[in-house]
Amino acid sequence: MDGATPQWSHDVVLSVLARSASDQIKAFAETLLPLLGPLEVLQSRTGLVMLPMRDTAQGTAFHLGEVLVSEAHVKCGDHQGYGMRRDRDLEAAMAMALVDLALDAGIAVAQCQAFLADQQARQQAEDHETLCRIEATRVDMETF
Amino acid sequence: MAYVATRGGERAIDQAERLFRAEMGEIDAARVEEIRRAMPYLVDRVMGEASLYDPDIAALALAQTGGELYEAVLLLRAWRTTQPRLQVAEPVAQEDLVTHRRISAAFKDIPGGQVLGPTLDYAHRLLATEVLTGTPYTPAAVEPAETPAPAKQPSVAHWQAANDLVDLPEPDTTAPEDIPDITREPLLFPAKRAHSLQSLARAETGSTLALGYAAMRGYGKAHPTVNELRLAEAEVMVKHPKGTVFSAGRVKVSQAEVVSKSGDKLQLGFAATLGWNEVKCIAAATLDLNSAGAEKGSATEEEFYLYHTEGVESSGFCIHFKLPHYVTFQSSLDAMRDANSKNANSKQEEPAT
Repeated sequence: MDGATPQWSHDVVLSVLARSASDQIKAFAETLLPLLGPLEVLQSRTGLVMLPMRDTAQGTAFHLGEVLVSEAHVKCGDHQGYGMRRDRDLEAAMAMALVDLALDAGIAVAQCQAFLADQQARQQAEDHETLCRIEATRVDMETF
Repeated sequence: MAYVATRGGERAIDQAERLFRAEMGEIDAARVEEIRRAMPYLVDRVMGEASLYDPDIAALALAQTGGELYEAVLLLRAWRTTQPRLQVAEPVAQEDLVTHRRISAAFKDIPGGQVLGPTLDYAHRLLATEVLTGTPYTPAAVEPAETPAPAKQPSVAHWQAANDLVDLPEPDTTAPEDIPDITREPLLFPAKRAHSLQSLARAETGSTLALGYAAMRGYGKAHPTVNELRLAEAEVMVKHPKGTVFSAGRVKVSQAEVVSKSGDKLQLGFAATLGWNEVKCIAAATLDLNSAGAEKGSATEEEFYLYHTEGVESSGFCIHFKLPHYVTFQSSLDAMRDANSKNANSKQEEPAT
């Protein structure tokens, strides 16, 4: 990824985009569209991802069940963008693919990274709040 | 073999379906959203049994079926077949779960400690009847701790292995795409462990509880203690076309490990499912714990419990009995009348004594 920095490895970029707020990533991707040029949409669809798990008793990997996702795959010249999110929001998956494409092509990198930083901060704040609520339920056992 | 053809049923069938749907009335996005928001545990249960994770789709199925769970699960299993499978994700490992609830009934001082998470375990079961007379019920707000709980928790079984209480299994190196899958292969016995655990993951909650409960009450060989119970979120780790593995989002999962003493070591049973449904997981893990060497035809025998906890098949077989069986039933009646007639004739022919 041309726009990658140590803070923004490709896996972190994609994970943050996949979890980003639907309305916000769509609005941000709209601003990228005029900069990206003609696009070829290779895929825009919903589908399933089978989710395996490892059993802790005997170590066996087995399938828990399938997860509905939306997927988008776009191409612009030699660059490609990909989005997959756990929902059935095709527009949000397409928006994710456009951000990935922009970073791959080195377009609007600073804006993309600012968007990523904002979304990551929101996600971390959300996780922090959830985990503080969970911590409130910690029990300290005493033996009488 | 004979069939009885009937005419004139088309209108009745159409009206019967209308009568069913009339009770629910118009279904709109707001109703689906309200079901999803207000009944997360019901939505979770349906997603687990349908083996399809999407809260919106599950809530829609509940709305369309008026909460008739077997119909809702059937609807989701059917809808699932219209969707292509895009990928198989990386396997979820217990240690990577974002854990909301984690308790052990076997050891109080497990590494990482115990967090109750969301539960009614210690609540008074009181119905808020004032709601029906116009006084809303507003639950007390959670008072968050100053510091967050760790997102990830270590495995109790690993700690037990370090204390020589259990033998840790060899890691399964099967590639995700090669993991046996009962949605594409028949369930044969003795079942592959991957098939067995997948079947339990999508098993019907009530029947799983019934058979698990039978095992707990003494119709099984091993009495369970909950070694570790988790309600958590798992990252769905998928692959970018360039090969980068990333999280496409989180899904709620439950897992239970139950334990029993066997010789000089502890024996573990395991089950997990999509969504938060701890009763099903504890019952299913109890069946798993008891399955080795179970007597043929017993509640804890794998073939018995896997066949009888498959909700779509069992409910489908049950309700087929209400469909017309006129020919077969008439045949039985004819045989019964014939036997009665022969009995009556033979009595008449008997000489008087």
